[in-house]
Amino acid sequence: MSAVIDVQGVEKMYRRKVHALRGVDLQVGAGEIFGLLGPNGAGKSTLVKVLMTVISATKCKGTMLGKKIGDKSALTQVGYLPEHHNFPKYLTSQQVLRHFGAMAGVDRKTRNKRADELLEIVNMTNSATDKLGTYSKGMRQRIGIAQALMNDPKLVVLDEPTDGVDPIGRRDIREILLRLKGEGRTVFLNSHLLSELEMVCDRVAIMVHGQMRQQGTIDELTEGRSGFRIRSAAAIDGLAIDASKAAVHGIECAGEPGEHELVFQTSNAQTVQPAIDSLRKHGVVIESLGFHRPSLEDLFIQAVSEEPDGARPGAQQGKKGARS
Amino acid sequence: MILRQTKAMLIDAYRELNAKKLFWLTMGLNVFAVLIFASLGINDRGTTLLHWTFDNSILNTKIFSEEFYYKTKFTGLGVRFWLSWVSAILALVSTAGIIPDMVSSGTIEPILSKPLGRTRLFLTKYATGLLFVGLQVLVFTAGCFLVIGIRAGSWEFGMFLAIPIVLAFFSYIYSFCALVGLVTRSTITALLLTCLFWSMLFVVHYGDETMTMFRVSAEIKMEDRAAAVERQEDKAQAKIEVMREEGEPVPGENGEPLPENAKDSLEAVNSRLTNARSNLSDSQNGVASWKAWNARVGMLKSILPKTSETLSLLKKNLVSEDAMTKLLNAQMENQPKYNENEMPAIADPRVGTRMQDAQLQKSAAWILSTSFAFEAFLLGLCIIIFTRRDF
Repeated sequence: MSAVIDVQGVEKMYRRKVHALRGVDLQVGAGEIFGLLGPNGAGKSTLVKVLMTVISATKCKGTMLGKKIGDKSALTQVGYLPEHHNFPKYLTSQQVLRHFGAMAGVDRKTRNKRADELLEIVNMTNSATDKLGTYSKGMRQRIGIAQALMNDPKLVVLDEPTDGVDPIGRRDIREILLRLKGEGRTVFLNSHLLSELEMVCDRVAIMVHGQMRQQGTIDELTEGRSGFRIRSAAAIDGLAIDASKAAVHGIECAGEPGEHELVFQTSNAQTVQPAIDSLRKHGVVIESLGFHRPSLEDLFIQAVSEEPDGARPGAQQGKKGARS
Repeated sequence: MILRQTKAMLIDAYRELNAKKLFWLTMGLNVFAVLIFASLGINDRGTTLLHWTFDNSILNTKIFSEEFYYKTKFTGLGVRFWLSWVSAILALVSTAGIIPDMVSSGTIEPILSKPLGRTRLFLTKYATGLLFVGLQVLVFTAGCFLVIGIRAGSWEFGMFLAIPIVLAFFSYIYSFCALVGLVTRSTITALLLTCLFWSMLFVVHYGDETMTMFRVSAEIKMEDRAAAVERQEDKAQAKIEVMREEGEPVPGENGEPLPENAKDSLEAVNSRLTNARSNLSDSQNGVASWKAWNARVGMLKSILPKTSETLSLLKKNLVSEDAMTKLLNAQMENQPKYNENEMPAIADPRVGTRMQDAQLQKSAAWILSTSFAFEAFLLGLCIIIFTRRDF
């Protein structure tokens, strides 16, 4: 898989005070939907803005579409939807698409044709001649996505594309994303709506306090964290836990005395049977039992709750441009 | 691709102005101004407005041609009043928001993510503001050109020089507006500070003119007093010659004592010379003082854009010097008459002539190059800020 985005050690310091990015490494492969997630202030939008040349990195090595980061010529093949965009309200959606198409260097004939096609794709054909000032947030978001596709880009970067969009709109956007992937384009999604990302992303990265905490496919990230989860009606004491661990020697077990559940990290049901027997022997009333795979939300919460080295929580709070 | 992007930005700027209703409003006002210009006229009795005649002993066709009348009205009322004040203020209000709107959060990101350099982006946006003013000046000038052609029978293509001249004038102010708009991202701040800057240019210009006027009048006074000293010295010398011939003792010569207030024999025999020399000394001090002040204000002015002088270039090119002198003389005849001793120094007609000469010494190249240097400095600052800023 060739990398469309391949950057190493990206750093951004605002006014020598706010360390928004702390040596971020990121690889996004061609043709995949890549999701970048993280809490507010993690530096997600800052990273996207560095890639889009909206801000300059303090330190950055790497390429996007084979060109150095900051090289404007790479942007001819990139479509970008910024977070909190404010497209001219005096223009109709058709005019917005044609204007940004021209700014991206698309010739007149192509942009007129493409604008009509994209309006249809984002279900906005009926409002094509209405001014953006009359649109709802969701409608503006659809036009924003269409605008990002005007130059037939190889890489589409969408910063919070479902922000303010209703459930039907979100489903439509998901379909558009899958369609883009089907057309062989690479999609870079920046969002904190974990369920959205989980549904469409091939690979995800979790960013916290300006550092990339985890990166990979959801399977890769959950590997070693899934297993059989045993839930008890009452808190499980330490003795019962120790006994059950001893019964399945060699299998990792997550769970502390006083908690209501234990997770044995194995996918083989047979191997956890001795542990169940042991727990029952110690009077534990088993309420439920089943194979458990952590969700993206579990991974996210775990990543966020770990304090990174040298990171200061809330370092970017209140700094414009460091928003995620 | 460059042309495509530039065209898109120009169209967008037009749509933005159109949405604010200001484009057509200012255009309509310009057409209205042309209609007023067309309603003015001149006949053998005086000036006219539609069918009314206002008797005027100077401005009538017995003294001046219709062509001269319209040209002076165009450069005076049309350019110096309408285009450089009313129309310029409207244009500033219309265009002050172009840069702050562009750099506002949510608007700038999609633009910067397009494949065009920031310097070109900024300069193109800046040019769209000037283009708006250029279109207004074009409409007004073309209208006035037709009026003069039809009413005075003179098809003066030189009038179209008003377009680059007014554009240059507006660009000096607009560059400041763009810088403030870029730094503060606020249209209202850009507008207010630009008005302040414009007022400052006005004050510096009139400060310089006033200083020049006082310096010139002081120099004339000093020259007059030097001539008076010379006259009194001649008189004293003649008196000494007579005294020598008649064998009378001359004070200060051959051991004769000098009177208490006299510095030499000349003053001893002509008491008016002492007074004249004292007056001359006062004038010399006055001239030195005005020269110093004039130099200071002149220095400040030399680095600032010269709005008034830039607009005056049109008059220099459009109206002949002879005709202007004729008008000045005619106006001078209507001024209140003074006795030589009562006349205030600045009312001396030589002051006007010398100031006109001083103005003529400032070449178009000097006026434009120093003004554009200032504009280039401000635009350079804008480009440095815009290309380095994180949005």
